[in-house]
Amino acid sequence: MNNANKHPEDELLAAYSAASLPLSQALCISIHLERCPDCGRKLQRLNRVGSELMQQLKPAPAADELKNRLLDRLDSLSEENSEQAHPLPDSTVPRCLQQFVHGNYDDLPWRRVSADIRSVELCRDSNGARVELLKIKPGGSAITHTHLGDEYTVILEGSFSDEAGLYGEGDFLLRGKHDKHTPVASLHRECLCLAVTEGPIQFTGFFSRLMNPFIRRSYA
Amino acid sequence: MVSMANQRSPGDKLTELSASLSLVANNRDKEAFARLFDHYAPLIRAYSLAREPGADLVADELVQEVMTRVWLKADKYNDRLANLNTWIFTLARNCRIDYLRRNSRYLTEIDPTDIFNEIEDDGPGPFQQVQQSRAEESIRAGLKQLPREQAEILTKVYLEGKSHQQASNELKLPLGTVKSRVRLALKKLEVLVVR
Ligand SMILES: [Zn+2]
Repeated sequence: MNNANKHPEDELLAAYSAASLPLSQALCISIHLERCPDCGRKLQRLNRVGSELMQQLKPAPAADELKNRLLDRLDSLSEENSEQAHPLPDSTVPRCLQQFVHGNYDDLPWRRVSADIRSVELCRDSNGARVELLKIKPGGSAITHTHLGDEYTVILEGSFSDEAGLYGEGDFLLRGKHDKHTPVASLHRECLCLAVTEGPIQFTGFFSRLMNPFIRRSYA
Repeated sequence: MVSMANQRSPGDKLTELSASLSLVANNRDKEAFARLFDHYAPLIRAYSLAREPGADLVADELVQEVMTRVWLKADKYNDRLANLNTWIFTLARNCRIDYLRRNSRYLTEIDPTDIFNEIEDDGPGPFQQVQQSRAEESIRAGLKQLPREQAEILTKVYLEGKSHQQASNELKLPLGTVKSRVRLALKKLEVLVVR
């Protein structure tokens, strides 16, 4: 059952390398990259593609004045910059998410979506995509749903499984318009993920508790 | 008549530029910095103009921004992680989206700063040890042999900064075709043989 793809597709990684994708998608990929050395190596090569393409551009000469102005400023630049070393806080929150999560995930204004699910919206992207954190309690589930747009998910903590396989920390999933998809969090701990949902979505009854007798029994 | 300077391979040029960067990093050498500027500023301007044709002031601003970072971060550059051209590309890429955001072209609160990492930030470990110069050679050779429509799509994505959706609208092609052309191009360039 576990043959699921847990990495962004190559062309998506290329779009990330080019920085030519919606920022909400880039956010998901960036989180995945913090935990996936394989994709990190691919990205390194993809950056080289960008670099080679740039070298092949027809150079557009710069005015001497631009150079001289910058050369004159170099000494003052060094001074300005010496103040702004910003060490990374010791945090389990991925670096690119720290712009939204300043301390702890628990401090966010979580709202109840269903008995199993809590969510907090972090922001919207310019393409209208909704960027939110979802917390699914152990053994909890989102009911089978389809989307009107693509849904990008990265797992931050815990794990869940769906029709395609089992996903753990750092794994990346893209579910398209017509994919049916029923994520179920694993039993031993809650699952925290970042979800980016594009296109219009129906909110009513989107997630709800799955009354799974097997899970309930094993939990008793 | 071809001068000696033009006969050197891109590799020699890169070695020379890397030496200049070391001088900037270690000795704060302004002449070395000027040499880097002379080589990279026209490429950075071209990169900016690829996205916004005719916007010369924007292009100049990008040059200032990128070359400022080169001056300030020269000592953080690690040649085992990326060659100098690739480092400059990622700086230019990051500065370009920063600029777009600062001028509110994105209409979103998402700050790209920590999303697109700079190469020195990736830290030691898994990102190292790729057979660099050979890979570069093969990418360079591969780009020359790409079918026109695949080269076109890479240009749109990497240089013009078009999303797959925008490329699909502009080229009047289904989104799936755009994606598969990117994939085919990457396959031809053999950039994805890692796994
Ligand atoms: Zn991966």
